[in-house]
Amino acid sequence: MKNWKWMVTAAALAALAGCATKKGFEVPGYAFGCPVGDTKVSSMDDLVKAKTVNEGRRSTVQATEMRCARTGDLLKIDANLNNDSKSVKRMSYKFRWIDREGMRAWEEESWKPVMLYDNSNLMINTVSPTNKAVDFRLILRSDE
Amino acid sequence: MKPARTLALAVIVSAALAGCAKETTRYGDSRGVETVTNQFGSTDLQLMAESMARSMNQAPIIASANLPIVTVQEVRNKTSEYIDTRAITDSIRSELQKGGKVRFAVDQAAMNQQVEELKRQQSDLYAKDSAAEMGRMVGAQYRLEGNIVSIVKQVKDTKDVYYKLNLQLWNIRNGLLEWSDEKEIRKTTTRG
Repeated sequence: MKNWKWMVTAAALAALAGCATKKGFEVPGYAFGCPVGDTKVSSMDDLVKAKTVNEGRRSTVQATEMRCARTGDLLKIDANLNNDSKSVKRMSYKFRWIDREGMRAWEEESWKPVMLYDNSNLMINTVSPTNKAVDFRLILRSDE
Repeated sequence: MKPARTLALAVIVSAALAGCAKETTRYGDSRGVETVTNQFGSTDLQLMAESMARSMNQAPIIASANLPIVTVQEVRNKTSEYIDTRAITDSIRSELQKGGKVRFAVDQAAMNQQVEELKRQQSDLYAKDSAAEMGRMVGAQYRLEGNIVSIVKQVKDTKDVYYKLNLQLWNIRNGLLEWSDEKEIRKTTTRG
């Protein structure tokens, strides 16, 4: 009988754990603090894929992680760029800001050139220029 | 004789070709990465202005206050080259103004024009009821100033330039430093 009670408790706990909110997805429409709207995002890879755009020459440097937070009424973004090659890579990035209606919330930013050492990571960060910007895209291009 | 004639012909053809060289003008991306030389350029100006404006927007005094009034003072050029520092502060001011978190009071550079316009409106040419009155200008609560420095190193085929822009936001009433930040840029040019 004791064994039976223990099994019921274990089953209940397992069921509760299954229903628990996944870390980074506590707020509907947000993943890891970043606005995702109706886009289906269930992992960090999904989020990075949804928010990153390659333009011009494709860079071998890839965004691997992205996290967002609110600072006052502005959106703060941290993104990790990874260079897993054995050579130094040069590339540029910029953020594109989108407003509530899906239109540009800010003029096109300037490209920011960066250098990544071989087999290394670079954390880039920014903050939205205006509180009208509720969404963003990270644009990458190779400078090589 | 023959080599001399060939040489002369080659010189004439080269000169003609040089004279007829086609000049092309195209529009480019004003926000693209410019690496024509390693002197201070448009990309450096844009990077510095954007970085500083975004940083200042997050400063507690700007984020929490109700549209603080700022005046832009001089950014001293301590580099070895000519840099229009006014262009940097103008870009920062534009970005902050568009962000809608700061208001700007007339600065020293524009003061003469402001006073001249006030005086003009006070003249008999203007209707008194709609003319701007004297003594109504609003003083700034904060002043923005800073400096830009560079370190240049050069050996035979390599030139390395390092720029650092430092900006500070001072509280005019109590003299406290409310915000400060730096933006660094390094550029290296190698020949061959």
